[in-house]
Amino acid sequence: MALGILLAIIGGAFVSIQNTFNANVKMRVSVWTTTALVLLLGFAASLAAGLVFEGAGLFSFQAEPWFWFSGIVGVGVVASVTQGVQNLGPSRAISLVMVSQIFFGLMWDTLGWFGLEQVPFTWQSLFGVLLISGGVLLFQLGPVLEQKRFVRLNPDIAKANDWQ
Amino acid sequence: MKGILFALLGGFFLTFQSVANATISNQIGSWQAAVMTQLTGFVLAFAIVLMIRDRSYRQLTEVSPLYASGGMLAAIVLFSNMTAVHIMGVTMTIAVFLIAQLVLALVIDSKGWFDMSQKKIGRTQIAGVLMMIAGVIILKL
Repeated sequence: MALGILLAIIGGAFVSIQNTFNANVKMRVSVWTTTALVLLLGFAASLAAGLVFEGAGLFSFQAEPWFWFSGIVGVGVVASVTQGVQNLGPSRAISLVMVSQIFFGLMWDTLGWFGLEQVPFTWQSLFGVLLISGGVLLFQLGPVLEQKRFVRLNPDIAKANDWQ
Repeated sequence: MKGILFALLGGFFLTFQSVANATISNQIGSWQAAVMTQLTGFVLAFAIVLMIRDRSYRQLTEVSPLYASGGMLAAIVLFSNMTAVHIMGVTMTIAVFLIAQLVLALVIDSKGWFDMSQKKIGRTQIAGVLMMIAGVIILKL
């Protein structure tokens, strides 16, 4: 359990760094070229790590046919998140993506699809997920709301600062 | 409305990705799974670049090599994600991933690291993170 939490903290931190780096790339290059580049380098790095840890054994595996289509899901992520951001703006879109992610996680743990170990549903876990979702919304939308309140209370300062 | 559906679908795909990767790694090994999903994802993304005749790769020379190589971090992200899902299930993995991700994003923004425009940390953001941590504790109590 402790190892799982530690790994998830490390992983989440690297997601954050990667998002930041990708944001810098996307200022110059299109979303799809950025995605292709990120996946190519992810492939190269995983291949290198696999060879270091497992040597030639990396290539001896029996894949089911659907494994080869798993990468498509990643492209689906980029396509839908990009569309969401274009329609709703980054804060609202990303907060919805995260809330949806955690609720589908709860659903998946409960159903135990795809050979995942089934975790029985409890009202307590639903409450936990609701709290996490509330936290995400507060985090993402809080600054926007605070700014709006500030503008309403101090319209002149807001105008002087050229906020909006 | 369309935007909401796309955002929800994006979240579904992200969770599906974690589950699929964990399942595949269970059967053929973590590095094999990482190599496979990144390779097939790249092939499809590259096909899209060709299809829409996207030439923006020419501007890649204007991007700092550090930022352009960010994709390599996926090896660490994928490995920790798959292993964490095996240990504690998808819900907990996603929850802790999100907390770590948002906390570091807050630090990066407040310090203005990596050419990000500097932003003050809001009280609502700290409250949001605390609420998420409370949620994780309740999830595991």
